[in-house]
Amino acid sequence: MNLVSDGMFRFLLSATTGGVGVVWTIHEIMLLMRLRGADRRDPLVRDQRFGYAMGIVIGLIGVFGTLRFNGVL
Amino acid sequence: MAATTAGHPAAGPASPRVVSVWNPANAVTASRYLTLPFLAWAVHNGYHQWATFFIVICALFDKLDGAVAKIFNCRSTFGELFDAITDGICYGFGLILVCAYGWAPVIPVLCFVGLGAVNTILRGVYIRRAGRAVNYKSYAMERVVAYIGYLIGFATGGMEVRFFYWVFVPVMVLIVVHDARRMLVDPVPPAGAKHA
Repeated sequence: MNLVSDGMFRFLLSATTGGVGVVWTIHEIMLLMRLRGADRRDPLVRDQRFGYAMGIVIGLIGVFGTLRFNGVL
Repeated sequence: MAATTAGHPAAGPASPRVVSVWNPANAVTASRYLTLPFLAWAVHNGYHQWATFFIVICALFDKLDGAVAKIFNCRSTFGELFDAITDGICYGFGLILVCAYGWAPVIPVLCFVGLGAVNTILRGVYIRRAGRAVNYKSYAMERVVAYIGYLIGFATGGMEVRFFYWVFVPVMVLIVVHDARRMLVDPVPPAGAKHA
């Protein structure tokens, strides 16, 4: 019992993972760049920097996984 | 009717706005539990696409409750805690479910559930240190929660399951260690601080 064809399902998985991964990574890089001049001793700034860095890692994992899923890597 | 004070300052001096726990944002959060029986039904019957659909609905409601809280101006500490607890229950249930049916590798799932439990205990310790109901805010953990939702989707969709699960184990260990230091060692910000 399927909602869509297998090909469409595969495309939707790739789009929602790879597409979101790319956007997510760019978004986190921009957020991280905005913190360049901030005080690194501030715990809030430190936590934000770490969070955004982890966001970049997670976004890249999504992109690499999508490429593997489609046989590119 | 139970109520809780909003997390942001009110217009009047020393008169924090009271927000009922029976508000639209918490209703959206609570409605996420309704997707779990359908998710279990789909996984049990081997309907991969339906299972993916229901976990996507659950994840979308997670994004929707924050927007509803802003629109209806009903943000509260209780709502944040309720949202965090609902994340843990819904995604924990989803992870265990896909693992139990052999759709996801056991060892990474045990790592995620174990680390999630450790994080929950640490949040309890943090609340005790703070001496008040406070939702510990972690930018990294917010991203982990979103990814965990995706992990369940990878399992239901059969998308590079082993890769996505195993690669994420060291990332989650790093984040939990980072947050543990902050919750156990760093000073607790005073009530009303931007980063409580």
